[in-house]
Amino acid sequence: MHPQLELLLEIQDLRSQSVGLHEEPLRAVESKVFDVEIEDAVRRLDEKVIELEERLSPEVRQRYRLITDKGDRAVVPVLSGICYGCFMAVPTAWASEADRNRRIDVCENCGRFLYHVD
Amino acid sequence: MLLRDFFSTDTIKLDLEAETKDDALKELVTLFGLDDKSEGILFKMLKRRENLGSTGIGRGIAIPHCRSLVVNRLRVAFGRQASGLDFKAIDGKPVRYIFLIVAPPLEVSNQYLPVLGKIAQFGKEPDVPEKLAALEKEQSFIQLLESKGI
Repeated sequence: MHPQLELLLEIQDLRSQSVGLHEEPLRAVESKVFDVEIEDAVRRLDEKVIELEERLSPEVRQRYRLITDKGDRAVVPVLSGICYGCFMAVPTAWASEADRNRRIDVCENCGRFLYHVD
Repeated sequence: MLLRDFFSTDTIKLDLEAETKDDALKELVTLFGLDDKSEGILFKMLKRRENLGSTGIGRGIAIPHCRSLVVNRLRVAFGRQASGLDFKAIDGKPVRYIFLIVAPPLEVSNQYLPVLGKIAQFGKEPDVPEKLAALEKEQSFIQLLESKGI
């Protein structure tokens, strides 16, 4: 896997976790079942996101900022040849290559970073 | 939706070899059959979740969970470690029974929270730790879920 893609996945997963903690019912479950202090958890996750964002290359960070500044997810999965950001088909060749996550792919339609998950 | 529908015998391990919390998480993650990089990313996410607060809910049960892009559908696994692991659980007791739940961030069927809730409910039933301790085969775990009707 491309190291920058790996970093993007980590960032996106952390952002998902942080967003989840803002929303019910996950917020209530984490607080009541697992005794998580929500505000502290969100702050720690967001700090980690900022730390990891600093490790993105200038080119990747520029695109990442363009997407996230609009409130969108920067990285989306490709499932069955479909970009799960805009639900358009990605080029067939990309979807079928064995080494597809070894480079940084971007959706030609919505511009999001793509992670080929199946 | 029944819990048993999410488990299969190849994601149940009644004799975890791990002797630490981290190793147990890694051992359970391998049951999903992901590539090495994806396993690494998933382990990191589970660790980060644990750092926010232990998922050990007491009575020997832990439910590590997270959302991650490395899976394309909801995945669950169960592991048992008879001698118990230090999981920094809420009640301070060793964890012997671990339910791992991982879901993609974009989940059309939205099963993550209901499954998490059902497993937490299952874990709170008074006789469950004793029954999990007595399991002899992976299939028996699925039968136990069926018997509870959840």
